[in-house]
Amino acid sequence: MADNIIVVENVHVNFWENNVGVYSIKDLITYRKSPFKNKTILNNISVTVERGESLGILGRNGSGKSTLLRTIAGIIKPDKGTVTVNGSFAPILAIGAGIEVELTGYENIAMLLSLYGTKKKNTNVIENIKSFSELSDEVLRMPVKQYSSGMSARLAFSISLANDSDILIIDEVLAVGDQGFQAKCYEKIFQIKKQGKTILFVSHFPGDVAKICDKAILLEKGELISSGNAEEICAKYNQLF
Amino acid sequence: MVGFFWGFIKPLIYLLIFMVMFSQSFPSMDHYILFVTSGLILWFFFSNVTSQSVGSVAGSAGLLKSLNIPAYFFPLSEMISELFNLLLTIIVFLVLMNWFGIVYSYKLLFAIPALLLFAIFAYGLNLLLSSINVFFRDVGILWGTIQPALFYLTPIAYPETMIPEKYKLVIKSNPIYYFIKLGRTIFHENVVPPMHAWNVCIFIAFTMLIIGLVVFNRLKNQFISAI
Ligand SMILES: Nc1ncnc2c1ncn2[C@@H]1O[C@H](COP(=O)(O)OP(=O)(O)OP(=O)(O)O)[C@@H](O)[C@H]1O
Ligand SMILES: [Mg+2]
Repeated sequence: MADNIIVVENVHVNFWENNVGVYSIKDLITYRKSPFKNKTILNNISVTVERGESLGILGRNGSGKSTLLRTIAGIIKPDKGTVTVNGSFAPILAIGAGIEVELTGYENIAMLLSLYGTKKKNTNVIENIKSFSELSDEVLRMPVKQYSSGMSARLAFSISLANDSDILIIDEVLAVGDQGFQAKCYEKIFQIKKQGKTILFVSHFPGDVAKICDKAILLEKGELISSGNAEEICAKYNQLF
Repeated sequence: MVGFFWGFIKPLIYLLIFMVMFSQSFPSMDHYILFVTSGLILWFFFSNVTSQSVGSVAGSAGLLKSLNIPAYFFPLSEMISELFNLLLTIIVFLVLMNWFGIVYSYKLLFAIPALLLFAIFAYGLNLLLSSINVFFRDVGILWGTIQPALFYLTPIAYPETMIPEKYKLVIKSNPIYYFIKLGRTIFHENVVPPMHAWNVCIFIAFTMLIIGLVVFNRLKNQFISAI
């Protein structure tokens, strides 16, 4: 029997859409009815990932990729269907995610590591984060709001890698790194794959998906329109445009 | 530590104002300073922890979107840090009172359950406010405008006996009144509060906690859609 690390079965996710601009009690008092409407974001999604496999997720902007990643990571509870995961997650790597901009680099490292229960007494962890991110001591003492987007991506990526978790989730974050860092990240991703870890990878570059992932799915308006091996799905993705 | 410092300055300013304004008005009161200070400490604990917590869920969008952490965690961490500040403030307060010649007995230990009940009440309210604030971002502003009214509706600077009979009901419908009174019975009168005072506080604290939990649970799955 296959060793499935992630099983997503018939998942539906609804959001309360508020498209009438009622974002305050003040507005609510004048509007006088519920500003929320149920909107289907994911419609009947099923997907299975085996341990050590890498899954690519492709689709247009707004097709539901980030929402699916969050549902798999347990951040969003599905309204219908089930998500079963037999492994641990690192924080989702997405632009600006997980990192608190008011805190310094070091404070972010400490916070995320403690939230993840990574043993800090192992000072190696912090050293590894520093050396992988190539951020200097001086930079790590600055609040992250003063970082460039590439610098915060470096920090986020390095912290995520420091957590020795079974599943790594990458939501189109690598594009902001410079060439050197991107190359390093890809190298690291391949290394992680070799260690038998599972990767969920969202990218708008089908070439990267084909390189990194074994299989892929294509989302369109919250529905899974096809799944199969990565190259095949990348070709289908290209046909969308 | 910075939070503790500012937390200390605020009640101190109020204390000075009330001493100048009122200490002549209530000469018959035992230890007016002690009376006001004990009330102020409790009030500012409540006021600080609620003000800090209202925006705590909405303000943690980055974390909530990338980590599977229960959202309860954010108001809870505010609560823990305010409880810590409260503890430090109380220690300073006791040292000061000792210096004024006030001797406390073992009865002071009853302050622990009294403060915990107040904290449970505040946490319930924080769950309610912080979850609604995710969807309607002016809850914090609204709460900020209600607070001064609530402050003056609670007998903190003035003794309860001063309130005319016909307005007693207004005071008694204010839940905070019961917690301040409970704490003050211990700190100011140095008496163990009677059973019915405990019962009222237990009832209010857990009712508020349940309301907060129910609302928070109902809304928490949709936090992501609004942050
Ligand atoms: N609060 C909300 N109310 C209503 N709809 C929302 C809300 N938040 C997100 N959506 C919708 O959810 C859908 C899926 O969003 P999601 O972020 O998962 O897309 P995505 O595939 O990751 O897109 P991108 O490629 O741009 O990152 C979008 O159509 C978006 O409009
Ligand atoms: Mg996305």
